[in-house]
Amino acid sequence: MNTKFKGILRDQRVLLALVIALLVIVVTIINPRFVRLNNIIAIFNQISVLGVLTMAMAMLLISGGIDLSIGSMMALCGIVVATVLMNGQSMLVALLAGFGTGLVCGAFNGIIIAKSKGMPLIISLGTSMIFNGISLLIAGGAFLQFQNKLDFLRTIRLFDVVPLMVLFMLAVCVIMYVVLNKTKFGRRIVAIGGNEKNAYLSGINVDLYKVITYAIAGVIVAGASLILGARLNSITATAGDGYETDALVAAVVGGVTFEGGRGTVSGAFLGCLLTGIISNAMDILGVHAYVKTVITGAIIVGAVVMSNMDKLRKKV
Amino acid sequence: MMHTDKTPIIEMRSIVKEFPGVRALSDMTFDVYPGEVHCLVGENGAGKSTLMKILAGAYTPTSGSIVVDGKAHDALTPALSTELGIEIVYQENDLVPTMNAVENIFVGKEITKFGGFVAFKEMEKRVREVMERYRIHINPLQTIEHMSVADQQFVKILKALMNRSRVLIMDEPTSMFNVEDAGKVLDLVRHISSEGIAVIYISHFLKEVVQIADRITVIRDGAVIRTYDNSGRDVSIHDITQDMVGRPVDVFYQKERCEIGEVMFEVRDLQLTHNSPRINFSVRRGEILGLSGMVGSGRTEIVRAISGADPCHHMEVLVNGKKVTIRNPRDSIAAGIAHITEDRQRLGLNLGMSVLENTLLVSLQSKSTGSGVFYNLRAQVPGAEKIVQELRIKTPNLAQEVVYLSGGNQQKVVLGKWLHAQQSVYIFDEPTRGIDVNAKAEFYKQMTDLTKAGNCIIMISSDMPELISMSDRVLVIRDGAIRCELNGDEINEQTIIKEALGVD
Repeated sequence: MNTKFKGILRDQRVLLALVIALLVIVVTIINPRFVRLNNIIAIFNQISVLGVLTMAMAMLLISGGIDLSIGSMMALCGIVVATVLMNGQSMLVALLAGFGTGLVCGAFNGIIIAKSKGMPLIISLGTSMIFNGISLLIAGGAFLQFQNKLDFLRTIRLFDVVPLMVLFMLAVCVIMYVVLNKTKFGRRIVAIGGNEKNAYLSGINVDLYKVITYAIAGVIVAGASLILGARLNSITATAGDGYETDALVAAVVGGVTFEGGRGTVSGAFLGCLLTGIISNAMDILGVHAYVKTVITGAIIVGAVVMSNMDKLRKKV
Repeated sequence: MMHTDKTPIIEMRSIVKEFPGVRALSDMTFDVYPGEVHCLVGENGAGKSTLMKILAGAYTPTSGSIVVDGKAHDALTPALSTELGIEIVYQENDLVPTMNAVENIFVGKEITKFGGFVAFKEMEKRVREVMERYRIHINPLQTIEHMSVADQQFVKILKALMNRSRVLIMDEPTSMFNVEDAGKVLDLVRHISSEGIAVIYISHFLKEVVQIADRITVIRDGAVIRTYDNSGRDVSIHDITQDMVGRPVDVFYQKERCEIGEVMFEVRDLQLTHNSPRINFSVRRGEILGLSGMVGSGRTEIVRAISGADPCHHMEVLVNGKKVTIRNPRDSIAAGIAHITEDRQRLGLNLGMSVLENTLLVSLQSKSTGSGVFYNLRAQVPGAEKIVQELRIKTPNLAQEVVYLSGGNQQKVVLGKWLHAQQSVYIFDEPTRGIDVNAKAEFYKQMTDLTKAGNCIIMISSDMPELISMSDRVLVIRDGAIRCELNGDEINEQTIIKEALGVD
């Protein structure tokens, strides 16, 4: 094999695309219904929440951080939006309140992480409990209703085909790509993720950028809460549970590393798409829900092990 | 001499060690006898640590052989080295701070009793036996983090002695001690050697070397200059320093002198901590000011304070006569200061980023890369390309990740990022460490060009020829204070080394 070809294969995205293509072919042979347009739209509908969250997580990982509170933060944002709507306020007020909540929660994480120099993993686990507690205080254990006011995200469709929420997710991906690759802000946070000391010595205001990064992640999470609301039409304090790990897994499967500085938006998107396709394919093939969970886990572990093949050869 | 009737336990024969572009050891011949203390002295970078790593089995010599107990080896491995009884007490602290001395000593080779449980009592007993034999007085059950630096050093030595070692290599064992503690270490070394163990003792405290050594070997530029018989404890420190420095003229670089103008950069009353000495100096336009001193003398701390990398107690900085406040690297960059740091991989570069982006990293902070949010990388290519050509950075293209470049080219990228930001006060900390001769020469030319263009340079260097060739003026630092200022002909190896070591 020539070196160039090997180089392409080493790109996680190519590997992922191959895995996805293979899955699509195999499942289609077993059940051709899989590639029908309405099923493809269904897959995208299913991953629309996760796709948005994955972008927030990918950005944080690339900048050398992590936020495990995004699940409960999303639930809190949703609860704030639902509460405002239930109080008869306008949609504009509800949206401002929702995005404001995300911004404040994200900035809160960012300020503590930047100023305390503590481990973001643990700090965000702690703040996750804070956000969850606030959700419970507001909503109790109850289901709050959006009174179908978020349905437009699901029902409005571009060309009568692509729902608004899928467009929203794709837009977040494109914006994230532009931010990370084409803006000064993006290149600086990549630099911080790659070598924080070097970034600091090169004059980057590392603390400020960290706070901004977490705050942006919070706003993105608020966006995800709206899609979740559109899909479920109701929300509880536990509605976001598990989303943080799903987003983390999608990003890492997509080649974003824990060490920071490395990773691509397209990779993270493919990672998210893979999890969506696996889930949908197993539904279509009639795999039992319990078996499905086992297989999903196995495929994720397999993908991460494959992507680490290069590292395995080096001992130290 | 004790060893006249014996054979050496280790004999290094014509050892050569080459790294890409650098010859670290050339024809090194060295031996040590059982029960002997053999001291190794030389400047920073003379080859002491390379030699040590070869004995530890970490490096494979390019040629030559290592004879242990009469058996020749081309190279040692870490396992073989341990098996032969060679133990090294490193300068750095490699103990687990939260464990006590006994646990540290037996890490990885714990004694167990029935059922696989760790036999703490038995381990403690053995440690106490060895302590008694060598008259070491520490509390073996105290956790390392609660011990004094001196006691920690004793634990490291104990750990080496537990492994039935026959050769003990000690790297600057007293460098952070006060006189009293240093004396304890020297006593211990005497006990160890009287038990028949060979000690290779590396130190730049020449007084203590003369007190303790049976033989003293001076190395310089990777070769043995001379081995003294010190059985009478009477070798002159003056002779040793002469051997450390006497270089042939051809290793010096001919620097083009350029016009020196008005004072451009001034530091007043810099105090690293509230009770450290005040440091005052200035640099003129077109001048290269050399900072000399042994590793740990405070050189790096001084420049890190100036560039805002570390906080300091008090400091006044004037650039072109104007006072500037420096609290962080942003402030110092805004004041026109460039800091080419000591450790390029850890501090100077973002290894996963391209040559282009590394070059732009500092100027990215200023308006020059375009106002607004967006960052047009392509528009920056001509500027970066010019830097790459000027510095002759060998890279297939600007998109290459710097991790794949050679050390010399990586170092050029570090310089490149500051050149691109068009700074005026350049601080170089060990600018050419670990890079090959050609890259060095190119670096020197760049430094000369910088001064000709009306900038000024502060350079820390342990490379004596480099320091002497390049500096217009040299400050010698010892124990965090400026000990002397050398001008013109005063800048020579003898004076610098004597001031740096603090010998008369």
